[in-house]
Amino acid sequence: MLFRCKNCGGNVIYSPEKGDMFCPHCDGIDSGEKEVSEEKDICVNCGAPLEMKEYNSTCKCEYCESYIIIDERVRGEYEPELVLPFQIGMEQAVEMMKKEFRKRIFTPSTFLKESTLKEMKGMYVPFWMYDYDADCTYIGNGTKVRVWTSGDTEYTETSYFRVVRKMAIDFQKVPVDASIEMPDDVMDLMEPFDYGVLKDFQEKYMSGFYGEIYNQNSEELEERAQQKAKKDAECMLQETLGGYTTLASEKKDIRMNTRRARYALLPVWRYIYKYRDKEYPFYVNGQTGKIVGSTPVEKKKVLSYGGTVFVLVWMILYIVARIAEIA
Amino acid sequence: MKQYLHYFRWLFAAAAILVVLYLWLLWENHILLGGGERRNEECRTQERVFDYGDVLTEEEEEELRGLIAETEKRTCCDIVLVTLNESLKEYAREQEPDVPYREFVRVYAEEFYDSNAFGYNQPIGDGVVLVDNWYREDDGRVYTWLCAVGRAEEEYTESRIDSLLDAVYWYIEDDPYRAYKEYINKFGDDMAVHDGDGLGLPGYFPVLAAFIAMTIFIILHWSYKKGKKTVVTRTYVKGTPELYQREDTFLHKNVSRRHIQRNTGSGRSGSHGGYHGGGSSGGGGSHGGHHGGGGRSR
Repeated sequence: MLFRCKNCGGNVIYSPEKGDMFCPHCDGIDSGEKEVSEEKDICVNCGAPLEMKEYNSTCKCEYCESYIIIDERVRGEYEPELVLPFQIGMEQAVEMMKKEFRKRIFTPSTFLKESTLKEMKGMYVPFWMYDYDADCTYIGNGTKVRVWTSGDTEYTETSYFRVVRKMAIDFQKVPVDASIEMPDDVMDLMEPFDYGVLKDFQEKYMSGFYGEIYNQNSEELEERAQQKAKKDAECMLQETLGGYTTLASEKKDIRMNTRRARYALLPVWRYIYKYRDKEYPFYVNGQTGKIVGSTPVEKKKVLSYGGTVFVLVWMILYIVARIAEIA
Repeated sequence: MKQYLHYFRWLFAAAAILVVLYLWLLWENHILLGGGERRNEECRTQERVFDYGDVLTEEEEEELRGLIAETEKRTCCDIVLVTLNESLKEYAREQEPDVPYREFVRVYAEEFYDSNAFGYNQPIGDGVVLVDNWYREDDGRVYTWLCAVGRAEEEYTESRIDSLLDAVYWYIEDDPYRAYKEYINKFGDDMAVHDGDGLGLPGYFPVLAAFIAMTIFIILHWSYKKGKKTVVTRTYVKGTPELYQREDTFLHKNVSRRHIQRNTGSGRSGSHGGYHGGGSSGGGGSHGGHHGGGGRSR
């Protein structure tokens, strides 16, 4: 499938900046018309063969550079329920990364100058979003200790309590990425996405971007989602147990009842920089602009910045102490 | 370099302001350039050691003069030592008819300081005089007085006077020279604006704090390499969790008692080596209340 401009016939893509379909050839807004492919693995625009990886749901034709959406990979079992359209464009993401690199003071100052951008991709990453009813139970014994002194005697009063907590938590859309290619820890750091702008899936949002179908089904990934939600539920349960000096737990049970799992596509920019023969991948949340990725560390900068902090703090404290003496 | 300067601009500015403030304070306190200039031109004598009691040898007097000259520069205070071996009863009672025995030396000290117009900054200005009278008065005791004037009076607290007289009386009977040296040195240590610790913190504190700050700084920026977790516990919770059962049932309590051992031992005695201690007392007001000080007897 391809979105063709009804004005000029060019490939229309979704523009995060404009929040609409946009033709880069004639600057037409919302001028795209869906053109469905007759044959699989063939470019709708030029008829050239498409090179696709196992999980790709979109690809870019190597010959005419059109963004092709693979019909069968956005329909049926692979049709996403929700999509969060890109809100940050490529140039904005690059600017944000430059700003981020400036903040990372241990990054070599030559990093941006000397590195080459090996890849720059806007990708819709497949996610499963789980809804849970969490039922939390805590039963235990707690003590509260009060100490006071009267005359030459110190009194310690220990009160014993039976502590019971039962709590229901409504978890909604706990996300877990369903892409094998994307590192789990990085995708976890990408969160949170603002679900307020989630939309029902429409193919047009994918035009101009790369996409994947889910690599693993919702059952396979459920445990990761449950662990995430369970950890949060434990923290919330713990918050209700304040005020005790000691607590001995008898029963702590958190049951996660799955209500449903939704298949969604979330936007991520991936940039791979090559610097001194090493690759440095960076991921930018296509909605919030949050950046995740490691930059190289220059030892000379660690020493100079660390040393400056040492000298300045020492000097300021020393002078403050001396001023306090004199004043 | 640009990034470095930009990053530390506020810290550099704070340090620069503090340096300027510090230099200004040093200037104001006449500490800059190796000590403030003595501004009292009306002082009637250059002498500081008056050994009328003939307690010291010529060499010892010379040593003390040298030590005083050096300490005066550090403290910006005149430091005077007077030893006597005569009754001050008649003299003191002439000045102040009802003055008690222990304050004969005070009357003498104040009069001595004023009549010679001692003072580092001005006549009867910043300075201190120790009068040690070896004569045993009618009450059978020997008296000493430390008189502080101007900045010395303001800054030299009662506990400091006590501590100084303690140090002097520790040696006075066996080695007067050492006792007087203690007087000069201790006064120098207490009053020198160059030394001491205004915030009551140990000297290694700035270095230790700077080292900790540097370590935290490096760890924070190093861990920043990848990215920060920005998801909170309730990110994926709809509404607020419903706590539908909350029980805190009191079961029982017990109370234990413990007897506190009070420390009933006595505190430090006020004297050393069998000398009779004497608390310090405030200065007299014979000359308009501008003297402070305290005394001791043995």
